[in-house]
Amino acid sequence: MFKRPIVSILAGVLLAPSIMGATALADDLSPTTSETVYFRGWQYRTDVVQENIQRYNETQEGNVDYATVTGDYPTLMETMLIAGDSLDIIYANPSSAVRYYEGGWLLPAAELSNAAEIEADMFPNIRDAWTHKGNLLGLSYFVTTRGVIHVNTEKYAAAGKSEADYPKSWDDLIDQVFELSEAGVETPFLPHWFNEFHGISWGFQFEVMNRGGQVADPQTHAPALSATEGAGFETLSDWKRLWNAKIVPEEVLTMNESAYLKAFSSGRYVFSPQQAYDLATFNDPEHSQIAGKVSFLPYDGQSWGMIDSAMYVMTKRDRSDGLTEDVKRMLSWYGYEDHEGEVAVGSRWLRESMLFSAYKSVMNSPEAEEKIKSALMNPDNHQKLLDVYAASPYPKGVWNVAWSEEFNSWLRDHLQNFLLKDRPVTDTIEEINEKIVSLNRKYGI
Amino acid sequence: MNKWSAELTNLQFALLLAIPVLMFLVLVVAYPLGYAVWMSLHNIRFFGGYQATFIGLENFIAVLRSPQFWEATWITVHFTVKSVVLTMAIGLGLALALARPFPLRDVVRAIVILPWSVSLYGTGIIFLNASQGQTGIASALSYAFGFEQPVNFINEAWVIDVLAVANAWNLAPLVAVFLIANMSTIPSRLYDLASIDRLSALERFLYVTLPPIRFTLFVFTTIATVMSMKLLDLIFVLSRGGPGTSSTTLTFLIYKESFQNLDLGYGAAMSFYLLAGILGSTFLLYFLWGRREVA
Repeated sequence: MFKRPIVSILAGVLLAPSIMGATALADDLSPTTSETVYFRGWQYRTDVVQENIQRYNETQEGNVDYATVTGDYPTLMETMLIAGDSLDIIYANPSSAVRYYEGGWLLPAAELSNAAEIEADMFPNIRDAWTHKGNLLGLSYFVTTRGVIHVNTEKYAAAGKSEADYPKSWDDLIDQVFELSEAGVETPFLPHWFNEFHGISWGFQFEVMNRGGQVADPQTHAPALSATEGAGFETLSDWKRLWNAKIVPEEVLTMNESAYLKAFSSGRYVFSPQQAYDLATFNDPEHSQIAGKVSFLPYDGQSWGMIDSAMYVMTKRDRSDGLTEDVKRMLSWYGYEDHEGEVAVGSRWLRESMLFSAYKSVMNSPEAEEKIKSALMNPDNHQKLLDVYAASPYPKGVWNVAWSEEFNSWLRDHLQNFLLKDRPVTDTIEEINEKIVSLNRKYGI
Repeated sequence: MNKWSAELTNLQFALLLAIPVLMFLVLVVAYPLGYAVWMSLHNIRFFGGYQATFIGLENFIAVLRSPQFWEATWITVHFTVKSVVLTMAIGLGLALALARPFPLRDVVRAIVILPWSVSLYGTGIIFLNASQGQTGIASALSYAFGFEQPVNFINEAWVIDVLAVANAWNLAPLVAVFLIANMSTIPSRLYDLASIDRLSALERFLYVTLPPIRFTLFVFTTIATVMSMKLLDLIFVLSRGGPGTSSTTLTFLIYKESFQNLDLGYGAAMSFYLLAGILGSTFLLYFLWGRREVA
């Protein structure tokens, strides 16, 4: 008769600290006002985002309003920020985040009460990339390597090649593309020249860095390319050779990223620089005609691609202190640990789309290893992919500066015209350097 | 009351009625226009603190010195001419085909008008997929006939033509609808008389159909010219001004300067050149063609 209450009391006493702890944590992340937090992002897996937001609203009694922004995302966001529209948490690439910060429209994540804890859980290179003027700008949406050279192994084998023949550098790769072309392979290479702000211009930036160069100095943002030698010169010289030999279809210059993905998943190409997470897409029979046959070039002394990432950032619009506190809580819950102490959203992105996270706690988990292995043609290449990721450079000189978006847009047109109008390599590089000088002057850098 | 009425002339009464409309126009047209003038005379900066510095006509001079501006102007003219010619030709062709009675005419007319209801964004996506090598119609035909190479029309040589066709596909049905309405007012006895006089099909078109629809043709040529010169969404979706800058029209360049580069003053100055171009084209059309129709 008395046993049950005693057991209950004992259990209550024993469990009380953990329950109280959980409650305190939950309280910390629940909104303090009934005002609405506006969350906006680009269109990608809106179903997942919607469910995440719904979970926050339900478990934390939140008032988060989620919608997507279609079209030219960075430009639209910028005009909305200037206009002081109702935006509280938004997606941003590092280059956009730096621009928003410089414009005075961004509240850095360093303002979060648990910023130190979050920073400690981040990989140092990513934390450094996302830190501008000493402030961590945002929390992790995803991190990946853009420009991992994907290999259609079926077509590669048909050309008499095997893994032992894999190129080790860009020079090797271009030589092999010509070799394959001469051997009768019609479309050996699909370069990263597509028609988005993150297409051909980013393709140029990572190739220059992979070859050991920089487009602009990471500290001063001064131009760093030589017009007569070095990484930039070699990159554009190779591009011209490829273009003039008609090895690359002109169509790539007008593809959007979706068409670019479809082109490689059609199986027509042997090599192509793609996002690391798209290995999962290309090896998925539902999305690819070459599922189970796509591998990648491993790190063998030269990096491939560069770090590409996105953050959740807070805006600095005019709002009440209470609402600003709610925005911080929501950002912390969504971009780091939820009310149960799990990096739930980050882990889900890894599970759903193989989007890597900036957090060690996510990436070092057995779940991450399992997911990456499941996406690879050969699960034993798991460590090789992480090696490529670990060696990926970050273009701080042209990304962590207010003119980054403007430069990327200009560079896209400029590099496409370099190919289409057969313009000299030297002139093109000199114009890139002049553009950087003029942008530094325009932005007072 | 009678005295008040007697004191107002017809013109005064008309002006009185027009005052609310004029005030509305001042609000929705004059304010933004005035603001654009103000921006064009300033160097506006958002970084390092908002700043607007008066620089007089410097933006206008800088635009005239810009090679991109002249390249974009030429591309705009190129695109507009092709777009207007195609729009009017297709619109007139559709109207002539659909004006005469035939079975299920109303259904066919309804289908033909459908492209007008598609947004320019949607039109861009349709034509992008139909014209690019990856998913295009020409590629499908190429594969069907045993060729292995895709056929891509979104390239430097063809992109303006693809844009012009897409724009005409969207706009021509509207032209056709108005022309059909116009043609329905032509008395059928005129066609009977033309038959008695044994006029050929071409003569019947030139002497019976064309005269009453010439004014409509003039109006829609003007509308198509203006709409083509200020087109943005279709170009944004279909080609993003590329490849390179081969489809960067003035409107697209203004968008890039104003919103991507945040050079609002420079972009505003450029937009006044575009406005001058639109007004100039409209007046030219009026003096060369419209005056005779009105007279």
